[in-house]
Amino acid sequence: MKQTRRQFIRNVSIAGGALTLGFQLTGCSDKPLQVGSEADFRPNAFLRIDTDGVVTLQIPKAEMGQGIVTGMVTLVAEELEVDPATVRYEMAPVHSAFADPEMRLQITGGSASIRVYYDILRQVGASARETLIAAAMSQSGLPQDALQVSDGKVRSNDGRVLLSYAELVPTARTLPAAAAVALKPAAEFRLIGRYEQRVDALAKSDGTAQFGIDVAPEGCLTAVLLRCPWFDGAVETFDAAAALDMPGVAAVFATEHGVAVVAEGYWPARQAAAKVDVRFTPPAEGLRDSAAIASAMAAALDGDDFLSVRDDSGPDAEGGELVHARYEVPFLAHAPMEPLNATCRLTPGGCEVWVGTQAPDVAQDAASRVLGVPREAVVIHNQFLGGGFGRRAAADNVAEVVAIARELERPVKLVWSREDDVRHDWYRPAMAGQIQARVGAEGEVSHWRHRIVGPSINQQVIPVFAGTMLPQWVPAGARRLAGKAAARKDFASVEGAKELPYAFAGVSVQYQNLPLPVPLGYWRSVGHSHTAFVVESFVDELAHTAGICPLAFRRRYLAPDAPERRVLDAVAEAANWGRAAPGRFQGLAVHASFHSVVAEVVEVSLADGKPKLEHVYCAVDCGQVINPDIVRDQMIGGIVFALSAALYGEITLKDGAVEQGNYHDYPILRQNEVPPMTVVLLDSDAPPTGVGEPGTPPAAPALANALFAATGVRQRRLPLQLS
Amino acid sequence: MITFTLNGSDVSLDTDPQTPLLWALRDNLQLTGTKFGCGMGLCGACTVHLDGTAVRSCSLPLEAVAGKAVTTIEGLGGKHPLQQAWVAHNVPQCGYCQSGQIMSAAALLAANPAPDEEAVRQAMAGNLCRCGTYHKVQRAILSVAAVAHWEPSAEADS
Repeated sequence: MKQTRRQFIRNVSIAGGALTLGFQLTGCSDKPLQVGSEADFRPNAFLRIDTDGVVTLQIPKAEMGQGIVTGMVTLVAEELEVDPATVRYEMAPVHSAFADPEMRLQITGGSASIRVYYDILRQVGASARETLIAAAMSQSGLPQDALQVSDGKVRSNDGRVLLSYAELVPTARTLPAAAAVALKPAAEFRLIGRYEQRVDALAKSDGTAQFGIDVAPEGCLTAVLLRCPWFDGAVETFDAAAALDMPGVAAVFATEHGVAVVAEGYWPARQAAAKVDVRFTPPAEGLRDSAAIASAMAAALDGDDFLSVRDDSGPDAEGGELVHARYEVPFLAHAPMEPLNATCRLTPGGCEVWVGTQAPDVAQDAASRVLGVPREAVVIHNQFLGGGFGRRAAADNVAEVVAIARELERPVKLVWSREDDVRHDWYRPAMAGQIQARVGAEGEVSHWRHRIVGPSINQQVIPVFAGTMLPQWVPAGARRLAGKAAARKDFASVEGAKELPYAFAGVSVQYQNLPLPVPLGYWRSVGHSHTAFVVESFVDELAHTAGICPLAFRRRYLAPDAPERRVLDAVAEAANWGRAAPGRFQGLAVHASFHSVVAEVVEVSLADGKPKLEHVYCAVDCGQVINPDIVRDQMIGGIVFALSAALYGEITLKDGAVEQGNYHDYPILRQNEVPPMTVVLLDSDAPPTGVGEPGTPPAAPALANALFAATGVRQRRLPLQLS
Repeated sequence: MITFTLNGSDVSLDTDPQTPLLWALRDNLQLTGTKFGCGMGLCGACTVHLDGTAVRSCSLPLEAVAGKAVTTIEGLGGKHPLQQAWVAHNVPQCGYCQSGQIMSAAALLAANPAPDEEAVRQAMAGNLCRCGTYHKVQRAILSVAAVAHWEPSAEADS
């Protein structure tokens, strides 16, 4: 899916005498939706160097733990020849220049950031370096081949001339920026693939890192919101008399989102909220209980109302053993450690919002719609995110705080409780799947028929994103139509199943959207989070049916040059596959997502018949590694995230409301539950691909397959049972 | 009026004595390094020291700290061996839980200067991390524990 891009660099001088390098991307006009317009001012200023030589990088992506600040600083520093630890960074403001060149939104997701910015940010660094060299030539009168660059300085080969970047800025800013600079070959990398520090580690170890929840503009109040337990209710009546008598309470009023209780701090607000008597409008009819939803999905699988998303099935095969199975996965919450929050201060004709968000332009759009002002009247100050995982791509918290601030004369910070977070997420949808295939006497597989039923995420999310991408006058109805169109063969529901890598004779994949009145969103690895579980569990079933080792079985059906083979072989070697110690049992899975391929082996033991996690092995091919330590951390973090879901994660509905509320009934893995892990990074000279999400998909099927190896019981429903 | 020692200095607060210490720190004293995660003592993000012991400040009423000494992440000063180890090992990802992790680890090492891996795993089980930094937390603590073990304080003092 290569896109044509026309790239050029402009040198834009700004006030203060700094050298500012902009980078502009145009093209991609084949995309139906576009952010901004040709008339937009696009300075695209990623980089500036001030007259003290301080290099500051605008970070167009959200830092939510995945290490994007370090990654981006490293890419620029590699070519600019500076120490990454000396580079300052700022979270970029909302501007079309910072929109993701592929997604056309200023959004962080799809494990895309390094892949998309790998060339761009190196080019930014290289162009700046060459311009500084040109300045040095001008100042020294020496030719280019008499000069060399390192550590933020230009030197003459004979050592007589030494000019720091600070000394070169006044000249450099008057020069045209060097264009189309050749990038370093990999053999000359000094940082890429080698640098293993995190530039934000100190601020995140001494308490100074500022998250959204830490922001407090002068005079800031704190609000909490009493939300309707079911998703489609509104405030009908409320009595705030008792709450208003509480100390420190400033106001209690209803908004379109619930009853806002505003006070001098979180504790008085929360105490007063407990005294508010509120009644919500009753919920609409529909599927409102988890059991009813499961029945509806099962009934859908029994029916025939499916759309094909892949069909190279040919005529129905006969012969061999027909193997078939149904799989189910539950709704999941993101539960990032920092509860959602946002802070708003009204300004003349608009507002300022402080929030840790994966999509500052979506947040800006949401705020502007609440106030009925142009988007440009809203300033978003992005902060460190205390976990994102997809949850912070939504801007519900921003719409809520602006609706509260609108009624107040002082700035206000809205803080969600953990219960608000678990009960009002944009959930990973519950899904059901059915697969059948025929296994012949020699283990040959034919007639793979995979059906997937579940609510479309994109039916809900695309209209929201379209609201940011399209002009604001485009009516909601048109945006909903875009969502409906995306929902029919929702890629977020079938990704990872549609691209089945195995060369079975006859493959069909079908999908049925089952709309549900539950808010849905992107959850680390999105569709892959469930399709990998179903596909890789069922492939394991087929291997056992055929009586073939699950590794050999997979290799047999993978093309000789399939990237899956490399990671399978690497993880098999690391895990000593097939030769586990006595009492140890291994399960295997491999899955490609976000342009990377990851294989994992989960090893369990049995103690008194109860399985215990012993070790997880992981091999990843993510192209050129930028920061090996961060890639390993992302793999491990993705696995821990997946295992939390595989062992515990389940959001259930009763009477339309979520039954869970905090980490006791929506548990995540704890320190004493996490087994040792080994991560193998495969060498590659291909450009970098995703690492934030690809570690997640293989973990659940690898665990399920290990449990089968240990117990002989095939579990086809998440969360898995260990007893 | 409730008076206590905070990171070595005396402070007095005239606020509801039932206010959890967490919110007194964050909202009244503007010390935001201590984090709110669950409000029920389940996640450990709000961990501080009360007279040297790790406590969950979200569930500790202000009146319980009267006359006592409270230490927060800000009180470790940034150069604490654990903080240095956190940086050296690149422990944080999103970073939100790390103040609590470090405070729990500091209390652990104060009570047991040379814990083994299993002791670390058990002692740190109350501090959740959604990013999954558990192995790095473990390694950073053990690196400090190893140093403490290797260089007895008596030797360092002499």
